[in-house]
Amino acid sequence: MRNPSLSLTAILLLVLGLGLAGWFAARAKARAFARPGETRPHSLPSYHGWYVLLWAVLPALLFLGVWSSVSGGLVMQAVMDSPAAANLPGFEMQRQAIFTEARALADGTKTAAFNPQATALAPVFAEATTRYTIIATVVALLLAFSGGAFAFTRVSPGFRARTKVERLVMAALLIASLIAILTTLGIVASLLFEALRFFSMVSPIEFLFGLNWSPQTAIRADQAGSSGAFGAIPLFWGTIFIGAIIAMIVAIPLGLMSAIFLTQYASATVRRWMKPLLEILAGVPTVVYGYFAALTVAPAVRGFAVALGIPGSSESALAAGLVMGIMIIPFVSSMADDSIAAVPQAMRDGSLALGATSSETIKKVLVPAALPGVVGGVLLAVSRAIGETMIVVMAAGLAANLTINPFESVTTVTTQIVQLLTGDQEFDSPKTLAAFALGLVLFIVTLLLNIVALRVVKKYREAYE
Amino acid sequence: MSDAVATRAPTDWKTGAMQQRIRRRYSAERRFRLLGLGAVMLSAGFLVFLLVTMLGNGIKGFTQTEVRLDIDFEKSALFIDPAALRGPSADAALAAADLEGTVRTAASSQYGAAGAGLLSESAWLRVREAVKEDPALLSRRATLWLPAASPIDIAAKGEGAPEAERIHAQLEGRNAVRTGFNWNFLTGSDATDPAAVGIWGAFKGSLLTMLVTLALAFPVGVLSAVYLEEYAPRNGWTDTIEVSINNLAAVPSIIFGLLGLAIFLNVMHLPRSAPLVGGLTLALMTMPVIVIAGRNAIKSVPPSIRDAALGVGASKIQVVFHHVLPLALPGILTGTIIGMARALGETAPLLMIGMRAFIASPPGGVTDPATALPVQIFLWSDEVSRGFVEKTSAAIIVLLVFLLAMNGLAIYLRNKFERRW
Repeated sequence: MRNPSLSLTAILLLVLGLGLAGWFAARAKARAFARPGETRPHSLPSYHGWYVLLWAVLPALLFLGVWSSVSGGLVMQAVMDSPAAANLPGFEMQRQAIFTEARALADGTKTAAFNPQATALAPVFAEATTRYTIIATVVALLLAFSGGAFAFTRVSPGFRARTKVERLVMAALLIASLIAILTTLGIVASLLFEALRFFSMVSPIEFLFGLNWSPQTAIRADQAGSSGAFGAIPLFWGTIFIGAIIAMIVAIPLGLMSAIFLTQYASATVRRWMKPLLEILAGVPTVVYGYFAALTVAPAVRGFAVALGIPGSSESALAAGLVMGIMIIPFVSSMADDSIAAVPQAMRDGSLALGATSSETIKKVLVPAALPGVVGGVLLAVSRAIGETMIVVMAAGLAANLTINPFESVTTVTTQIVQLLTGDQEFDSPKTLAAFALGLVLFIVTLLLNIVALRVVKKYREAYE
Repeated sequence: MSDAVATRAPTDWKTGAMQQRIRRRYSAERRFRLLGLGAVMLSAGFLVFLLVTMLGNGIKGFTQTEVRLDIDFEKSALFIDPAALRGPSADAALAAADLEGTVRTAASSQYGAAGAGLLSESAWLRVREAVKEDPALLSRRATLWLPAASPIDIAAKGEGAPEAERIHAQLEGRNAVRTGFNWNFLTGSDATDPAAVGIWGAFKGSLLTMLVTLALAFPVGVLSAVYLEEYAPRNGWTDTIEVSINNLAAVPSIIFGLLGLAIFLNVMHLPRSAPLVGGLTLALMTMPVIVIAGRNAIKSVPPSIRDAALGVGASKIQVVFHHVLPLALPGILTGTIIGMARALGETAPLLMIGMRAFIASPPGGVTDPATALPVQIFLWSDEVSRGFVEKTSAAIIVLLVFLLAMNGLAIYLRNKFERRW
């Protein structure tokens, strides 16, 4: 009983044990009903068992859940009220340190304390913890026992145990499906809340249309580059430049041509092997792509730039965009694959029957007919690319340049979010909150892209079905 | 109209102009076909190039160069009572002894003034283990193989600086270096010295995170898939749930990191850098994947199964849990494994919730500070020291092997258990 979390596990096991005992007892009782000649009981014996088990376990679990969140405070209160705590320092930090040490002593995770006051408090802590643990155990067991006993008395041939159990299962299903809504609400609320706090410090107009990004607020007044400017246009441009332009220049031709080749020309064997192989490209973790971009592609791009006579930096938009394009190929190709396959066979046959070659059929009939699906796929791929983090963090750099030179370093929204939130952060500063504002913009843009893409794809599907 | 048809002579396919035109069209056809083949080959080539680069860099990370060191424990300035090493006080006794100094002295006397620089900073830890295992060492002269310092290690693998290459050649002449499998890489944790790093700490962090993710995302995902597919009434609520699940599947992973930071850390005050928070965050991200896969699997179970079960008197819940769910399980499991593989490779959300700290020992539980395998790769890739390049790639190989195994398992499950109705 030294370690409170350990004892919680013990109580949990006890309660579950009680529930299990209730299950067996109720099933045995219900089995005895099923005698020949009498009316058949409403529910199977095991449903009576489940009914008792749920009554025994759920109230106790509910109590333990509430208890685990308040017990720390109760123990703390008891310790504060004890005479040993009377002469603690008034300074909050020091007091916390002493409490932490005393708790560690009481748990037995530490054997000696640095602070003598902690040594004095440790027995008080241990005593309070034990007392409250005993109270919790007794209450939980009482709840489990009385719940189980109440349910057990209700077990009778006419009792509709199955209906009751199934009602609970139904409630669990509903709650599980509500978690998705809760997550969405959580995302929107947390982003919106923090972003609004940011916009109370920095005007939204400046954030959305400003051309200067340097979030590092000044520590000293004479520090260089410490204006604390939050104009996000260079970030938006960098994101679009890498994710929507360079990456798409790589991914659209390669993805589309791969899809055309695999659906129209390749034999079934080639298709069976090559399609999963290309899909591996989407399954490689992005941190691996990032490392690949930084280690192999970026130096090559820089060498190429130098050979062209352009001064290139070691981190370039081109390196990040190229690698991101490779990652995106399977997205484009599988969407194109689906929409080409959805074009009615009659259109293809008609074109071939008129004497067109395969490539003419593809270029003049299949691709135009499949275009909405392909566009939808490209939009999804763009939304994926601009939300991508690790490749740009590792290969794109941090300088907020507004440039169209692909050999220069640009920065993106996701890079800046990571940059602003890792390392030393003080909450409530505009620097930290800016990350949430950027996150909000990213969330809205990707959401819109997805909605538009799905709408385009859906509308086009309906036209052919 | 009929006049126009009548006055036009039939096309003569034999004329030179027509033949040339057909040739042009056929060669355009061939070009297009080659273009398609080229695109497939190029994409596959990128994959192969990526894997070969990682393999080429990383394979050396699994080996380690060791330098021979003779330590005469009897003559050394160590005062350890061998009897104390047998009891539970062994750690305390060893901690009090200056093993680090002993190793340094022995290295200097054997290899000259720069001798200590030949060994990894953590070489004395290996000596400590050896002494603990065999206290009898202390009374004699012992020969130990200790990990070499990073520059020597790189030189031994053929890419070192000229100075290190020279020293390595000298050592080789004295028969004092060997290369062996780097077990420490698989069993150790993060360290500042690239010769001493291991991935077990990060791997265990990943494992704990994945356990939390699976424990939360799988039940919730399956239950909500069942609800949406089997019971949900067609109304506004259901539509809202469906729309939010589909949107969640497309939200960038970093947004989930922001959510975890704002809710789990700043509102609920859960411990920072802990696998518990990482698992919660990744569970929210994985759940939509499981729901979508689960719905597809449940949808593919034919209605006749449900009708038959209902016909013999099963309740609606019994129909689903006794008949539909077992038949849909292979599909659900496949989707779950794919979702878990994606979560295993995820880095950005874990960075947001602080799982990027330097952690030198494996986490003991889900609330201990930890890091995860992809985050460890990211951290090592930022290191300046050259010795980290091969370690980063080696860690990537380990990660890829696991992802490949998980995806392979998913494909196997699908092929083995999936039924076509």
